[in-house]
Amino acid sequence: MDPEDARPEGEADAVSGALDGLRRELRLRLDAAENAVAERVGSVDLFEVFEKLRRAAGTFGMEERSGEVDEFGLDPVALARARRVLEWLCERWWRVETAGLAEVPRDEPVLFVANHSGLLPYDGLVIAHVVERETGRRPRFLVADWLVTLPFAQPWLAQVGGVRACRENAHRLLRRGHSVIAFPEGAKGAAKVFADRYRLQRFGRGGVVRVALEAGVPLVPVSVVGAEEAHPILFKMHSVARAVGLPFLPVTPTFPWLGPAGLVPLPSKWRIRFGAPIATDRLGSAAADDEVLISRMTEELRAEIQSMVDADRRARSGVFGA
Amino acid sequence: MRVPRSIAITGLRSFVGKRVLRRVREAEPEVQVHGIDLQRPYGLDPAVRFHAVDLADPTSDGRLAELLQKEGVEAVLHAAFRSQPRADLEADHELETIGSLHLLHACAAARVRRLVLASSTMLYGPRPDNPNFLTEDHPLRGHPAAHNVANRVEVEELVATWRERHQGVEVTVLRPCWVMGPGYQDSVTSYFARSVVPTVMGYDPLLQFVHEEDCLRAFEIALLEGRPGVFNVVGRGVLPLSTLLRTAGKRPLPIPAPLLYRLGDQFSQVQTGDPPAGFYDYLRYLWVADGERGWAAFGEPEYTTLEAWMSFVSSRRMRRYR
Repeated sequence: MDPEDARPEGEADAVSGALDGLRRELRLRLDAAENAVAERVGSVDLFEVFEKLRRAAGTFGMEERSGEVDEFGLDPVALARARRVLEWLCERWWRVETAGLAEVPRDEPVLFVANHSGLLPYDGLVIAHVVERETGRRPRFLVADWLVTLPFAQPWLAQVGGVRACRENAHRLLRRGHSVIAFPEGAKGAAKVFADRYRLQRFGRGGVVRVALEAGVPLVPVSVVGAEEAHPILFKMHSVARAVGLPFLPVTPTFPWLGPAGLVPLPSKWRIRFGAPIATDRLGSAAADDEVLISRMTEELRAEIQSMVDADRRARSGVFGA
Repeated sequence: MRVPRSIAITGLRSFVGKRVLRRVREAEPEVQVHGIDLQRPYGLDPAVRFHAVDLADPTSDGRLAELLQKEGVEAVLHAAFRSQPRADLEADHELETIGSLHLLHACAAARVRRLVLASSTMLYGPRPDNPNFLTEDHPLRGHPAAHNVANRVEVEELVATWRERHQGVEVTVLRPCWVMGPGYQDSVTSYFARSVVPTVMGYDPLLQFVHEEDCLRAFEIALLEGRPGVFNVVGRGVLPLSTLLRTAGKRPLPIPAPLLYRLGDQFSQVQTGDPPAGFYDYLRYLWVADGERGWAAFGEPEYTTLEAWMSFVSSRRMRRYR
């Protein structure tokens, strides 16, 4: 046996001592990294600029983040940075109006169910932002598989609270006390062409209602009006999409004609309405096995969101209206 | 049966085999230990009875059965697996899959009462459609390009059917995630030991580690006290790859996925010690396992993911200075 592996007597002490040492070293390192960044901003030095560039190249596509993330990868530092951009988008760009936020339950997790629109998950981000502004607790939004594993989008989405849409994740989030925003239309909803705007697609296979019944959390219907016009899809190119491995490749008035600038959404006026919560806990957990009940509830939910969308569309004065 | 009177360990030269043997000798010196491997390991404890058996040999099941019965072996730890996949796919398959089959036959014939299998959470496979936390009930989908993972999936299937047929036997399957620590070495640690680490461009997955002592403790408890079932053995907490590299002062080298996979394949073919192509999917998609069941059975781990990682990093740094 090699001597380095021989164990000393006071092993417990040694282990806890080593642990303390580790923690200390870690804290020092993180502090030093933060300070180094802060110092570098102050002075202009060619060498330091070069060093900064070299570092940036080394972490290209892997944004600098804080030392700790929660179990779903949400990063408080990255989120704080994103919040400023979101605030500007909500207030200045889309001039988001909300209704019914006061009725959203505050002290228990809820499952928000919204209509999906726009290519990129702006609707999830904006709903999460307005709910957090009102209640102080940030819901997580569920994201389709293809987007959550898209290069460069993947690290960023996880940092700001995007989670892959699946039953296990929704259950875990609700169990941990996080509210969840789901878009049961899925990619069918996000990739609607402009002619089909605001026509809600099939709600998957009723998974949203089943999760709410199993977890005993209220369902809150949410309608988003305006997001369809942020990225109006004229038509989709299937053959090209297949070649590059995407589920669909849209053509909008600006994309791909303007290149990456075409990804900038149009400044349409948004209205987000939160409906009355639908309690599910009194139905009991046996209801989660009643397929007929689930499909009926799913259909009712879809009809309600559709009517909310229609009402808000009639009420607005124009797509870009004041 | 609490503590078995006589135990057998296959794969004495593997990390788990070698270190569990040492822990058992310290904890229960009265237990007679039989070591099974191809060759006698250097510096083997003289109290251990060594038997040179090639598990891949077609007659090994008969020899093993005779041996286990004659020595009255009550518990078997099966850890005869490769830590570094070899380019010789056939030889690996013979040893890992067929060797396990022979051992299972021998255990049945000798009426062994307890069997502990060393497995891995890598067997769940890195898939874009994985939930954020994989429980023990999730199907083992492996990885099509990683033959060592495919072999181990087959072994788990063999053990699962074997357990069905031999109901009275306490079967424990332990699935540790990537192990980190001062003494552990495999293809993963050699990948992370570099100062410039190639990563998949545009991806920053959440990773989890378990410290070698926490991992070994689970094996010791399962072998000596018995905890029938399947358990993930993981540390608490998850961290993105970028944060891990930053705290260790390593530099990521992001390479676009198609190029990285092709390069990785070429390098592993000529055996430069680089990880095989399939390995990089583990740095691209989520495959984090849920450790609740394991923590309940084997106690709270002493090291979190970050602490396990830092213990690995600091021990490697010491080695460089020595």
